[in-house]
Formats: sequence, C-alpha cells, structure tokens
Amino acid sequence: MRTLVLAVLGVVVAASVLLVGKLAPGAGQASSHREAPLIAEDPTADNTDLYAYRSTDAPNSLTVIANWIPAEDPAAGPNWYRFSERARYSIKIDRNGDAKPDVTYRFRFKNRDASLFLGNTVQDYTVTRVKDGQELVVARGVTPPNNIGPRTTPNYAQTAANAVANLAGGGKVFAGQREDAFYADIGAIFDLVAIRKGTGNMGGGKDFFANYAVHGIALQVPISQLDDSDHTVGVWATTERPRMKIRSYRKNGVRRFQQEREWVQVSRLGNPLINEVIIPTKLKDRWNRLSPATDAQFVQYYRQPILAAVINQLYGLGVPEQNRDDLVAVLLTGVPGLNNTGSTLADMLRINLSIPPTTMPNRLGVFGGDVAGFPNGRRLGDDVVDIAERAVAGKLKGHPAGDLLGDGVDGNDVPNLNVFPYENIPPSGFDNAKGQQKP
Amino acid sequence: MKRLLLAGAVAAIAATALLAGGTLRREDGASAAPSSRQLVRLGFRELDAARRTGEPGHYTRSEQALRRALDAEPNDAEALIGLASLANSRHHFREGLALARRVQGLSPDTALVYGVIGDSLIELGRYDEAFRNFERLGAVKPGLTAYSRISYARELLGYTDGAIAAMQLAVDSAGDAGEPSAWARTQLGKLYFSKGRTAEAERQYRLALGSYPEYVHALDALAHVEAARGRFAHAISLERRAVKQTPLPQFVGALGDLYRSSGRPAAARAQFRLVGVLDRLFVANGVATDLELALFNVDHGVRIRESLDRARRAQRERPSIEADDVLAWALARNGQCGQGLRFSTRALRLGTRDAPKFFHRGMIERCLGHELEAKRWFRRALRTNPNFSLVWAPVARKALS
Repeated sequence: MRTLVLAVLGVVVAASVLLVGKLAPGAGQASSHREAPLIAEDPTADNTDLYAYRSTDAPNSLTVIANWIPAEDPAAGPNWYRFSERARYSIKIDRNGDAKPDVTYRFRFKNRDASLFLGNTVQDYTVTRVKDGQELVVARGVTPPNNIGPRTTPNYAQTAANAVANLAGGGKVFAGQREDAFYADIGAIFDLVAIRKGTGNMGGGKDFFANYAVHGIALQVPISQLDDSDHTVGVWATTERPRMKIRSYRKNGVRRFQQEREWVQVSRLGNPLINEVIIPTKLKDRWNRLSPATDAQFVQYYRQPILAAVINQLYGLGVPEQNRDDLVAVLLTGVPGLNNTGSTLADMLRINLSIPPTTMPNRLGVFGGDVAGFPNGRRLGDDVVDIAERAVAGKLKGHPAGDLLGDGVDGNDVPNLNVFPYENIPPSGFDNAKGQQKP
Repeated sequence: MKRLLLAGAVAAIAATALLAGGTLRREDGASAAPSSRQLVRLGFRELDAARRTGEPGHYTRSEQALRRALDAEPNDAEALIGLASLANSRHHFREGLALARRVQGLSPDTALVYGVIGDSLIELGRYDEAFRNFERLGAVKPGLTAYSRISYARELLGYTDGAIAAMQLAVDSAGDAGEPSAWARTQLGKLYFSKGRTAEAERQYRLALGSYPEYVHALDALAHVEAARGRFAHAISLERRAVKQTPLPQFVGALGDLYRSSGRPAAARAQFRLVGVLDRLFVANGVATDLELALFNVDHGVRIRESLDRARRAQRERPSIEADDVLAWALARNGQCGQGLRFSTRALRLGTRDAPKFFHRGMIERCLGHELEAKRWFRRALRTNPNFSLVWAPVARKALS
C-alpha cells in the first residue's frame, strides 16, 4: 500500500478515492467557523432587583434582599437554576456617602455532585464580610433545593425555612430559589397601548412575573453595625466574573491560565430601573462595570431623561425634559431631609435607618406619604414601576400626569412572608400555574 | 431577560402617558409601524435563529429587519452590530470587520463589538489582532461571549486544556437553561472529543440535550461519538433526528457517511446529492460556502479539480488556518503536494492541535516521499484524537502498521 501511493500523484488520489468508496467518511469535524450566541444574557450574573428596608418583625435590623436570574420558569427544567459557581456575588453598603463600600457581604457558591439528569440544585455557600480591608467568613450556608414538587421536595416551606443561617456577630442570611416579589405588566408594556384599564391608576393589569421564580439572597444585619451620625446608608448589589486572558503563564514550572486573579464587575443594581430606563444602550456595559462612585459621568441622562423627551415627542404632555434635578436628588444624592448622603452623585438605594417601619405601608412609598418606603430604601411591596413612571412624568414638580400613571398592577400575585427571608417560596414545577390541565 | 423586558418600560411609560393625557386615539385594529428598536430586536432574533436552526432563510429576514432599522436611523449601533454579525454568519468576513469597526467608532463601550471584530479577524487569519480584541472583551465583560471566544483562541493556539477551562466558565456563565447553555456544553463536548475523551464529550452532549431537548448540534455531535464506538445504528438514528429538524449540509453529509459505513451506498448517495442542493440554498441566502463545499468534495473524492479552484478562492477571501488547511488538502488530492506542503505549514503555524490537520500533513509528506515525516504526522494525528475520522484514522493506522 505504502509503495503504491508513493510519490505518484494521481495514484494518491486514486487510492484515497478507493478508500472512501469502500469504507466511509467522517470528514473530520467540518471546520466551519464558530458562532457564539449573539444574545447571551448571562442570567446567573443578572441582578434583577434589590430591596433594603427595616422589617416590622425585626425593626432593629436592616434587611437587604438581592435577586438574580430573571424569570425562572418552575416547570421548564426545575432542576437547572443555580447561582454561578464561578461568579462573585456581593451586597455593598456605604455608610459615609462617598459611594465606596464600607461593608461588603460577598457570596460564593459551590455545586454538589448530581446524577446526570436529576441534577442537584442544593448549593453550599460562604459569606465573607469585607470591612476595613479585613475579610472574615461570617457564615457558611446551604441553599434549599429548587421547588420541584411534592414528591421530590415535600414540605418545601419548612425545608426552605430550615436553610436560614446565622451570621457571626449577629444577623441572618438565606440564599436560594424564591418567588419573584417584583410585579409589573410587561405584556402590556410591550404592546403600545399599555394599559388594560383606565389610566393606569385603576388596576386591571396583569402581573407578568406571577409564577416565576428568582434566586435570592436575603441578609439581615443589626442596625447597630451599620448606623452612624447621619443615619443614611447606601446599598447596592453587584456580580463579578473573573477576567480571562488567552495565553498561559508559568508558575512553579506548571502552565496555568489566568483565572480568578482579577475580577470584573459585570452587573450592578442600586435603584430600580436605572439600567433599563435611564442609561442609554451604548453605555450599559460601561455602566454595569463601574462603581457608583463614578456615576457623575452619567448625570446628564438623569437630568435630561430620554424618557421624558420621548413622552413629549409622542404625546405632547409637556413633561419637563430638562434640569430634572428632582430625579438627580431621588436617584443620585438622596432627598434632602429624608435620605440625602451629600454631594457625591451615585446610584445607590439609600435608606435612612432612623425612620421606623410602618405596619400600614403605602405601595407608592414616599409619593403616597409613607417615608418608610421607596425611595427611602425599597420594600418588597413598593410599586416601583408606578413610582418611576410618575416620577419621570414630573410628580415631584407637581405635573398632573404624575398622579395618573401606572401599569395597573399594584401588588405581587402571592403574599410576601411576614418573616425572614420574606419573599415567598417559589412556585413548584408540579403546580406550575401556566400550564393548562386537560380534562 | 428581565433587563430586556424592562427596557420596554420606556415604551410603557410613553404609552401610559399617552393614555393619561388622552392624546392617543388609535383606531381599533390599526397596527403601528414597528419601531426601529423592534426591528433591531427582530433582526437579532432571526440571526440567532439562523445560528440555532441552520435554516438560511433566517439570514434574509434578519437582513431585511436590520436594514429597515438602519433606514430609520443610519448610525444605529445595534443595527450595525447585527449586520456585522450577519455578514460574519454569511462568511463575508471583510464586510463584517468593516461594519464592526464602524460600530466601534460609534459605540466604543459596547463590549460585544470586540467579540465581533475578533470573529472577523480570526477568519481573515489576523490572529494577533483578533486575540487582542478577545482579551479586551474578557477584560470589560467576562461572560459566555468572552469565555467562549477565549476558549476558541486557546484551542487555535494548541492549549486544549486551557480551552476546556475557558469553555467550562462559558458553561457556568450560560446557566443551566436555554440554548446558549446547550451551545456552550456542546462546544465543551467537542473540545473533549477532539482530545479523544469520548466519554466526557458524551456527558456534555447529553447534558445539553437534557436542558434543551432535541438540540440539533448536540444530536449531531452525539452521533459522532456513537460512530467512533462503531455503533452505526445509534449514530444514524441520532443524525437523522438532527437532519429531520435541520438539514444542515454538514449533518446531511455526516448522515450520508454513516449510511455508507453501514453498507447502504444508495442511501448515502441520496444524502450526498442533497448536500449540493442545500448548498445552493445557502448561496441563495447570501452565504459564501466555497470553503465548506470544497472540504466536503475533497473529502468525498468528488469534483476534485473544481474543488481546488473553490478552495483557492476561499483561501483568498478568508485566509484563516482553516482555509489554509482545506487548500493544502485539496492541493494534495490534486497531486500538487509541494504546494500543499506550503499551505499545510501555514495551517499549522499557530500550533493548533487538530488531528485532521496533522493527518492532511502526513498525507502530503507521504506524497512527497517523506516516509518518516509522514509517519510522525500520522502518529500525532492519532495521539491527538484516535477518532478524528472514521475513514482517515484507519488510513493513518494502516500507514503506521
């Protein structure tokens, strides 16, 4: 065979053809070019909501709830949703108004082994508190499994409640799947006539987020650990992923690839809807990467919100488009006399820790005369979509549209809990309310 | 997703405002013209559908939507990045690069643009520049988009373990649900397979199918695993499931190969004829297929002469190491082994550990009478991946026996 094909060109070809004809194929893995998904949304890094408030059942603590992984469908792969093992999740708290974190609670998750198809959504996690440059592990916890159904995950509420862990030095922590407390009529929002009934302040909307879950971290920290003379702290949540380089380096004679040596923030969340509504598309990646301390560079988008201009251009409502220092105050410095933190412009969720919680909350928060709600912190029930719509329409400037707007959804589809971790248990895959039962 | 959804809040507030002010009077049933944002979103969805399903009509629909968006806003960065990506998908990499550079000028903070620029540069054989863009992406927005590209760069450089490590991060970033997750797992599986680690490859393909049932790329990849184990009936059944959903030329070609291996030459020929038909469908939807078709033909010993012209054309248009390798192989099959050697050397210049490229080099060396060299390359091919090809791996083995 070898001698047959040797050097004689045509013979090589002939021999190969012969082989192909007789045997077969498997033309290597055809080397077409490789295409990654164009729209890769990185759900496990995606901060969906952040809440910070004093709960009536724990008035001497600050409760912070941060959610990730949007729109988990309980029936579509109940075994799959988990926190990322390779990301770093943080809740950051600024005590002195410089928009730099004074206390950081950092979370890392680790998967457990699983059989191939059943999966295992229980994750072990570590909470590290970073304060004054010192890192201290303050809790090691275990998430409950995702809520699959009564056979796989019986007594779910109890199982989940048992997963609450204590923080060293005081406080509690929970991490795992939860019902999404956020509510909004996104379905109508996508249709141009976005209100199902009346002017939006009359109910009748549909909660798109009903029956979806998220992965949440809930933290309860004694106020005594955070408070200072001006009583207002700023809170935000971030996700970081390791920067990656292509080429390897050598360490102790072993080839290594750069990993987890340098972290890049890929998502952040302070006040609700900033990334979605205020920051222009072409700056979203940049904004997500930066610390709130550098937010002054984005101030023009708060002062002249694109949204106000759009409203006027389309509908001539005469909403103020320029000099929106009212929005700058609410979102970037805090409201004087309520939760102002000074002159540093920074998107943080500000809460004045000296304002006691109320047993009679108003979903419109400060707009509804209830200073224990958004924008003084944010409770699970606060209607931030309606508040944001009214704020942009000029509520604080006395514009009439500021009292009418809304999406017609005024509360969550299921009650939130009265006790830690407050967001309800996730809907189970078995009970999945979106399916239709056949007779 | 929530962020995308909530970006719609802009529209909502506009709409609520309009009702509140009573200024909107829309006739029942009248439909407003789609906004440029909606067109861009549609263009992206169609482009992703093309990649996911392989149905080339999506390319045409994507282009229509994106061009209409650009008509409304000629400098819309999102529409332009969609068009750049579309050009790459159609293998018009120079056009893709020019468009992506324009986006970079308009929107330098958009991370994805560095990915798209790098994608074009890779296929144009400009690797150093491409890698710099990928690293920039990895520095500003690590995630599936960056990790999967860095994985590919490492694979090209021959760091297969590093490529696997990067793709594991891409898998983690994709989460455990949806097509991006299945895609990343399938890519990870292919990296294992390229090292001959069939069981680990299979595990990834099955996980991909578990989270995204009937995912065609995982079905096809799993068929290769079964074929490598000699289980042709299983392999055929898997490949048919892929082809039934999505008759991509490479799937149809693989099915034909499997039929031929199982002693069904007539069924094989029918599939091979279909490859030509499908190719014309892609061409009709604006996809340049010279390289892919040349490789198929040369591998299958059909239209060898014509395929050399195709390979030359492709190598001029997109001078990547892939094109260098296909041209080298086509030259060898046409008896021009001296020329083939030149292009094979180019194809291997990055240090890529790709068994088919090693094998092609071995065939060229043998054709030139370099027996020892040939054996060295055949050994390398088999050591890299003993299952690199059902037909050519045995050829390499026989040459060594």
